[in-house]
Amino acid sequence: MSSVFKALADPTRRRVLQLLRRGPMTAGELAEQFDLAKPTMSVHFAVLREASLIDSEKQGRTIVYRLRMSVLEEALLGFAQTFGIQVTKDAAGAPAVTPDTEHS
Amino acid sequence: MTRSFATSPITRALFAAALIIAASATLAYASPAYVSVELARRLFGAMLGVVVVIYANAAPKALTPLTRMRCDPEVEQILRRFAGWMLVLGGLGYTAASLLAPIGSAQLLAIAFLGSALLAVAIRYGIAVGVGRRAR
Repeated sequence: MSSVFKALADPTRRRVLQLLRRGPMTAGELAEQFDLAKPTMSVHFAVLREASLIDSEKQGRTIVYRLRMSVLEEALLGFAQTFGIQVTKDAAGAPAVTPDTEHS
Repeated sequence: MTRSFATSPITRALFAAALIIAASATLAYASPAYVSVELARRLFGAMLGVVVVIYANAAPKALTPLTRMRCDPEVEQILRRFAGWMLVLGGLGYTAASLLAPIGSAQLLAIAFLGSALLAVAIRYGIAVGVGRRAR
């Protein structure tokens, strides 16, 4: 469960899950939606796969991602999105959960 | 890669079934000597509702490989998620009705909640099939 919370704590990963709600998308289609380098997106995809929130399937030379969330995990996503929860680092460099200031 | 016997889906299903049967048998044995008939009925209904919620919660995670899918993956995902949500809500309603409604109408209300959820899923599925046929 902690891997799920970790996955949902990042706004980029939450956005990926929102995009996948519409249907399966390739890695390239997902990456186009963000202004991030491909290696960074790969890290996000790996965190989501580790938390079993998405499923990946290789089709030829492309990887297709699909949503794989239970009802409870979707509810947690909605909660995290509504309250804009994200993990930041405090002055000591330790992770701390804070509300997203854009939402407050 | 082989799955251990303890974690295989069949083992988990058999364990869940055994748990449900054991709980039902315990309630039947305990009533009416230790537990009132009404409480036993409420607890049994609540247990069934919780079982529905647990399985419905996990339903959207049961994916069919894209290579074996014969329908539109987007439509399939929408229906799978809709069914999961509806049955979780139906199961929660079933549980709440079993525990809180007047005993005379608890079972009817519980069935109404779950039945409505199933009907909603059937209607949604019918709409998706109808739209798919018209598109072709």
